[in-house]
Formats: sequence, C-alpha cells, structure tokens
Amino acid sequence: MLEFICLIPLFTGIIAMFLPVSIGRVILVVTALLHLQLTVMAWIGKVKPGLPYYFSTSPDGLLVLLVTSFIFLVISIYAVSYLSETEMTSEPIYIGCTLFFLASMSMVALADHLIVLWIAIEATTLMSAPLIFLHRSKSALEATWKYVMICSVGIALALLGCFFVVLSMEIGHVTEAITYSALSKVATQLNPTWLKAGFIFLVIGYGTKMGLAPMHTWLPDAHSEAPSPTSALLSGALLNCAFLGVYRSHQLLFKAGLGDFSSNILIGFGLLSMLVAAVFIFNQSGYKRMLAYSSIENMGIIAFGVGIGGLATYGAMLHLIHHSLIKSSLFLSSGNILLGYGSKLIANTGNMARLFPKTCTAFFAGFAGISGFPPFGIFVSELLIILGAFQKGRTISISIFILALVLIFAGASRLVMKMCFGKYKQGVLVDENMARVLPSYALLLASLILCVWLPDSLYQTILSAIATIGGSTNG
Amino acid sequence: MMPSSEALLALILLSVLLSLTSHRLLTLIHIMAFQGIMVSLVPLFHEKHHTLAIGSILLLQVMILIKGFLIPGFMLAAVKKIKMRREVVPLISYHASLFIGLIFIVVSAFIADRIQGTLPGKQTVLIIITAITTLASGLFLLMSRHKAFTQVIGYLIMENGIYLFGTALAKQTHTQYIVEFGVLLDLLVGIMVMGIILTNINDTFDDVDTAYLGELKD
Repeated sequence: MLEFICLIPLFTGIIAMFLPVSIGRVILVVTALLHLQLTVMAWIGKVKPGLPYYFSTSPDGLLVLLVTSFIFLVISIYAVSYLSETEMTSEPIYIGCTLFFLASMSMVALADHLIVLWIAIEATTLMSAPLIFLHRSKSALEATWKYVMICSVGIALALLGCFFVVLSMEIGHVTEAITYSALSKVATQLNPTWLKAGFIFLVIGYGTKMGLAPMHTWLPDAHSEAPSPTSALLSGALLNCAFLGVYRSHQLLFKAGLGDFSSNILIGFGLLSMLVAAVFIFNQSGYKRMLAYSSIENMGIIAFGVGIGGLATYGAMLHLIHHSLIKSSLFLSSGNILLGYGSKLIANTGNMARLFPKTCTAFFAGFAGISGFPPFGIFVSELLIILGAFQKGRTISISIFILALVLIFAGASRLVMKMCFGKYKQGVLVDENMARVLPSYALLLASLILCVWLPDSLYQTILSAIATIGGSTNG
Repeated sequence: MMPSSEALLALILLSVLLSLTSHRLLTLIHIMAFQGIMVSLVPLFHEKHHTLAIGSILLLQVMILIKGFLIPGFMLAAVKKIKMRREVVPLISYHASLFIGLIFIVVSAFIADRIQGTLPGKQTVLIIITAITTLASGLFLLMSRHKAFTQVIGYLIMENGIYLFGTALAKQTHTQYIVEFGVLLDLLVGIMVMGIILTNINDTFDDVDTAYLGELKD
C-alpha cells in the first residue's frame, strides 16, 4: 500500500505526542528510516496504491518524495542532538508535528487528484505552523501569523484555480476523473480560456507556498524564526512540494497545447523572484534571513528553468535536488551558529573559522555550493539552465538571470566572509559537536556524489519527469 | 433563475458593502453570520440545482450551521474574551473603502460581462458579479485593516466569494460536492489555526493589533 508512506508518520506522530521525549526522539529517527525504506520500495515499484483514484506514483512526485525522505532522515538525526541542547517547553508537540509535517508532504508527492493535492498542500501549512510558533516569542508569533494568513489566502486562491480547471472540463464535455494523470490524456479537449485562468490562480496559490516573488513575504520571517531543523525542512522539502503543485499544473497546460503561455508566466515569476532576492540579500542583517532569501532565489531558478524548457528543465530538476541538499545543510549549520553565538544577527557573529572550525567548513562549503561552485551539483544545474536558455534563444532573460546570480553572490559572500573570518571578541555559548556537524557534511557529500555520479534509475526518473513537458537532455 | 435568487444576491452585495464601512466588531460579526446564511442558500435557488439530491440538502444545512452559527458564535466568544470592540483608524478610511467597494462592483460587472459568453448554459451575470465583488472586497478588507480580528473576517468574506464562484460555475453532477467540501475544509481549519494564534497574540501583546507585529522586516 502506497498510502502507508503518509500513514506511518501520521500514526507515529500521534504516538510520539503522548510519550516522554526520550522515546519520542527515537520514534522520530525510526520513522524517518521506515519512511525512507518505503520510499525506496515505491521507487522500485514494489508498492501499489490502495486508492488509485486519489494516489499514484508519478516520476516527478517520486523525485520529490525521495529528496524529502532522505533530507528528513538526516535532519531527524540532527534534531535529536539539537533538541537535547535547547530547552523546548513542548517537545512532544514539536516531534509530533514534525512527523505530521512529513506525512502531509508525502501526501503532496503522491497525490494525483487535483483536490487531494490541494488538501495536502493546505495540510502542510497547518502542520508546520505549530513548528514555527514553538518558541512563543513575539517575533515567532508574528512570523506564524504572517505564514498562516498569507498562505491561507494563497491556498484559497488555488482552490478557485481548481474550480476553474473543473469548469474547463465541463465546457469541454470531459467526463474523466479529476486527476492529473487522467486529465493530461484528454487535455486538448479542455476549454483553453478557463484552463489558462485556472493555471494563473494555481500558480499564484501554490507559488505563494513556494516562495515566488511577490508572494514571498512570509518566507524570510518563517524560515528565520523557526527552530533550525524546521527551517531546513521548510526550505529543503516544503518548497519542493509546493513546486510540485505548480509543475503538475504546468504539465497539464503543456499537454493542452498552452505550454508557451504557462512557460512565460513561470519565467516571469522566476526572474522576479531572483531579482527580489538579489535586492534584499545585499544588506541583510540576519544570517537565517539571508539563507531564506537564497531559497527564494533558488525557487526562482527552478521556475525559470522549467519555464525555459528543453535542456533547462533537466537543469531545473537537478537544481531541485541539489538545492534541497545544500540548503538544508546550510540551515543545519546555522542552527549550530545560533546555539554558539545566541544571536540571529550577522553583526553578533564572527571568527567562525577559529571558534567553530567544523561548522565553518560546512557553512563555507555549503555557501560555495549554493553559489554554484564545483564540485557541488548546483554548478552543473545552473550551467545546464543557462545552456538550455541559450539554445532557446532567450538572450534577454538569460542576461537578467546571470545578473541576478552575480548580484546575489556579491551580496552574500560579503556577509559570509564576515561570519567566517570577521572579528569576534566575546565567548561562545555552546560548542559544536560531531552529532550536529556530521548531518551537514552528509548532505553536502550527497550533493557532491550526485554531481559526479548520477545513479541510472535517478537519471531515468528525471528524464521521464521532464519528458511530459518536452524536456530532454538533447535540448 | 428566479427573482428570489436575485434578491438573495443583492442582499449579499449589500452585506459586503456594509462590512466595508462598519467599524464595530460586533456589527461585523453579525454581518458575517447573515452573509454566511445567504451565501449557503444561493445553491437552493440556482437553476441547475432544481433537482436537489438528499446529499446536497444535508450539505446545505451543514453549510448554514457552520457559516451562519458556528463560526460567528466562535468569533463572538473570542471578542468577549479579548475585550475589544472596535477597529482603530484603518489604513484606508471607511468612506474610501465604500467607494472602493463600489468600484469593485463596476469592475466585476465588466469582467462578468466579458466571461459570460464562455460559460456553459444560461447564466445570470449577477451571481458572477456578486462572486467577484465578494472575493475582491474580502481581500481588500484583509489588507487594509489593522486588527488581526478584522483580517480573519476579511478572509471569511473572501472564502464566501470563492464559494459563490464555485456554485455559479460548477455542475453538481461532476464535482461531487468538491466545492462545498473544499470551502468547508478551508474555513474550518483556517479559522481553527487563526483562532489559536489570535488568542496567543492577545495574550502576548494584550491586543490584537497587527501594528505590533512589525518587528520582522527588511
């Protein structure tokens, strides 16, 4: 049963809420292991959906699921050590909600029905809101309020988008099930006007969740106020899930012969997100906010790559994997930095190279990776997106793309240099330890390995995921 | 469509305009309850639903119960608890808000006129006008008011607009209660979470003014 991938974290989450924390932490890691195992089984096609009307395994869904599951495992190992270091008043709730969050994200990845996908994305908001709110500080409260309010409005608009898609079915006299797989077979019969309207609302709705500008305003607040393991999950897993909602809709439009329309919208949103990130990252005062803006930038890159099509789509999918790996690693390192300095401001940090050599290595390597330096995978993915865009002759968009990349690198590198090698006089609060550094290294190593050696099954899955919107490695 | 349904839609439009000008929270909640009931009744008079199934009648009652009584009751209790009576001076004044509401009606009439031709079957323009106006006014209320409470009401009005859109556009046979189901889920869950955070904002700041929530910015 495919549904167990969602149900297991749900059940263990409920159990963990009523058990003492020491057992809860074990449950967290064990569930993560089980989840990864089930995901691998789904990947090789051993589990079949029990409700094929609502759930199915699509290549793009499987890709997001595998990334989510792997990252969750690493983050859960980190979280155990992080939780023992911080004093958290309601830790059982934290562990429970983290598992619920995993359940809802798995549901997004496996959903095939339009409304089930929508419900799942709505569920991710609800399950992650308590995680951000957990510190109960004024700023955490503010971040949660913005998160819930903005994302609820976005999700409501996405519901309207779903209605429009259903309407386009009615006008076209389509009587298929309202699932993405069924609709894409009869996509040409759908009414194009309402399908376009539906796509706009779906992109605005799911794009809010994905952090596309100008609907991104909740993202820096939520990512900076959440505890670091949650920030890593939000950035590395949740944004991908929201992207999946956008991607599925784009597939539908492509099948209906409206690919140009949706591509241009995605390119527009993508470039705008990158430019907004470039402006705001430049004089950023908090390092977690800096990472959050970098997430907005990278979501923009993915949307841009998907919009360009062809070779760039392959680049975008690679980018999705590597961004998740590297960005979660960076957020985990930022958790160590926060524990060590006790402040989220860049001005209150410095001299990490001497004080926290291991964290500094992970953070600096992660920064190099996210900026697109080899040997990390983002180098390849960004290169492929740029090449793909040149093949399509999109000269103006690609110059904006490169300009934004350069600006972001220039802005962020100044801040990272200050953190790693700047002056710092006071002492440190909590020393780094291996249990909290190794997960960051593991994620970076995964990106490095995938850059030089891509397993064949992964490669084939990416190819079949992008083939639906006309992407291939041949351009 | 029967004239009675048009009267219903006119009442909804009026309630939307009223909600834009009222500054007392109790009035706002009463308007909300009234609007909720009216909106839930619309499918009853809609020509497509002449042959109402048992399921849709049941759903209709659940809708009225939740939109007309449960949520407003919940909000009334919350208002009493947090001892807040009126909205402070809003970002955009009440007269200007009313004027903007009227502009919304004109614009949505224009949009409705344009999209009517693409719709299947006979459609009255009024329901689409009402839906777009309600949606836009809800969004406007959400953005232009300080109190977290009024923002939640704006969200509810927006949700009403989406529901109207859904009933106006979708055939019952095909959607299998997707519209009702989706909107109810959205409402219940959204209100639950917002309610929890709302009381927490009140506990922390002794107020529900989102002007206090201004620490995080760039």
